[in-house]
Amino acid sequence: MNKKALLIGAGIIAVAAIGAVTYTSAQRKWTINTVVKITGIAWFNRMEQGVKEYAKSSGNNATQTGPAQADAAQQIRVLEDLIAKKPDALAVVPMDPATLEAVFAKAAARGIKIITHEADSQKNTLYDIEAFDNVAFGANLNKRLEKCMGGAGKWTVFVGSLGSKTHNQWADGGIANAAKNTKMQLVDAKQETADDADKAYEKAKEIIAKYPDIKGFQGSASTDVAGIGRAVEEAGLNDKVCVYGTSLPSIAGKYLETGAVDGIGFWDPKDAGIVMNKVAQMVLEGKKITNGMDLGIKGYNKVSVTKGAGAGMIIRGAAFVDVDKSNMKSYPF
Amino acid sequence: MKALWGRVSARPEFITLGLIVLLVLGVSLLEPRFFSPQNLVATIRTTTRLGIFALGVLLVLAAGGIDVSFTAIGVFALYTTTTLTLMFFPTAPFALMLIVSMTLGALMGLLNGFMVWRFAVPSLIVTIGTQYLFTGFLKTFVGTKHIMDIPAAMDSSGTASLLQFSTADGVRVTLPLLFLVLVVTAVLTHLLLTRTLMGRAVFAVGGSSAIAGRLGFSVRTVQLFVFGTAGLIAGLGGMVHGSLNRLANPSDLVGTELDVIAAVVLGGARVSGGSGTVIGALLGVVLVVLINNSLILIGVPSTWQKVVIGGVILVASGVFSKRSGA
Repeated sequence: MNKKALLIGAGIIAVAAIGAVTYTSAQRKWTINTVVKITGIAWFNRMEQGVKEYAKSSGNNATQTGPAQADAAQQIRVLEDLIAKKPDALAVVPMDPATLEAVFAKAAARGIKIITHEADSQKNTLYDIEAFDNVAFGANLNKRLEKCMGGAGKWTVFVGSLGSKTHNQWADGGIANAAKNTKMQLVDAKQETADDADKAYEKAKEIIAKYPDIKGFQGSASTDVAGIGRAVEEAGLNDKVCVYGTSLPSIAGKYLETGAVDGIGFWDPKDAGIVMNKVAQMVLEGKKITNGMDLGIKGYNKVSVTKGAGAGMIIRGAAFVDVDKSNMKSYPF
Repeated sequence: MKALWGRVSARPEFITLGLIVLLVLGVSLLEPRFFSPQNLVATIRTTTRLGIFALGVLLVLAAGGIDVSFTAIGVFALYTTTTLTLMFFPTAPFALMLIVSMTLGALMGLLNGFMVWRFAVPSLIVTIGTQYLFTGFLKTFVGTKHIMDIPAAMDSSGTASLLQFSTADGVRVTLPLLFLVLVVTAVLTHLLLTRTLMGRAVFAVGGSSAIAGRLGFSVRTVQLFVFGTAGLIAGLGGMVHGSLNRLANPSDLVGTELDVIAAVVLGGARVSGGSGTVIGALLGVVLVVLINNSLILIGVPSTWQKVVIGGVILVASGVFSKRSGA
């Protein structure tokens, strides 16, 4: 083989390579539909902001839709309509994962890629995205509580119900964290509040009556801190008792402002919306999401990837958002 | 002894009072802190919330019906009134909100009464149906979101105090002003049942609607009246609940109706109708509230609390069944 032929050969390969590169970067726009549980509520409006932000930055055709009511049957209908239009991918926050298995299987058979969020039991999904590990989230809340309490004193934790898996994982995460510090004294753990602020209020009052030296409360249901906060405020203990829990600024805001509740934790649906779409795009580009990967969004910089309920995988971030009085205004939902 | 039992049987609320005394003695032996003024105030406050609903339940039970939709009516009236107020008249006075809420409640109650009378279906079935209907309608057409920023008048009425003091531990204790709503409603219900013709008609229909009809009482009027009034009271109770809770949550209340019905029955009203007193119903509520609110104090682990509540209700109802057997 002479030099000239070699040069031509190299040239051809180079051109082909450049062509391939330009082809990938200027590929056709992907159509990705995000389907949420219910449209029009603050939580999913916030998620839509993320979807819009992703559409703008990626240039893909990404939109969000969902049923007008929180109803699994209506979500199926929305999905059926979308599948008929054959988008490239669907990013879904299932109302009830089990009821969506059939419709997801049908979509997959038509070549539509399925990504889910908050559905770690979903079988027919390629990737399910969870904002965080529940035990780690509970431990994080408890670390903030511990710091506020000055690392010592009596504290307790509430759950919505003893049967709620996530609430118990959060509570257990908190209990395990506090157990590392012998000065943190857990009393009457895991009182049930039935996701009712008034129950949380009554139980908090009873705890205050029984332990006048109580120093901390950790809530699990989003209404827990609202009830505890009211009890603490009414008792005039805003400065003496620390209150942390899972909640949203729209529910706990009033008490964050007065200092009855010291801090809350949650995950930002906007980031979850971006991540779902990003993962969908990566799947469409034939890329794999691997353990420890950086998805380029805060909280999802080093994701853990584990096997899911079906053939798909579960991607877990560490995307807890710590909110207190100082930054609650940045999360208007 | 037999004579004493006979006299007590005629006034079943004495049994309820006796059970309360036993419970208070038992709990205070286990945990002296039970006798704190703050615990007393907490008990009165919870009694306010449940007691208002209990008065409506009492009316329906006395007329021989049963209503399990009153919690749905209460939360529907609360949430819809709050939404409407925020939408059209955020500075509305509390009294106006109460009127709107009670009107909504009365309308829903009348629907119950109409169906019970028109289709002669057992009221339990009708109200199970309307409970689903009201909750479903609320969540579909009115809203699903917690409303934290309730109208100012609701917030200030909910936090206004009738009595306030601090304990030795530096804990501030407040008896809410809205406790007076329970007092007024209880007095009116008592007068209605004991001093009016309608009250006599209610007990007559509850005893036997056939005989009441022959005596000239209109069964239709009585049924519309008791369900309508129970709805009105539920609308009032819903608004008081939301104001005390400083939150309008469309998922609240529904699911607690059996607690209230149990309380009224423990206060001496018969499920089969024709009996019951306001004082008994309120004592029944106090009994249930005391059981519920002393479990943490005496250190019952949360997994065991429901077992204990169920056990006490069973024992208490055993005492009552002895009465009706005698």
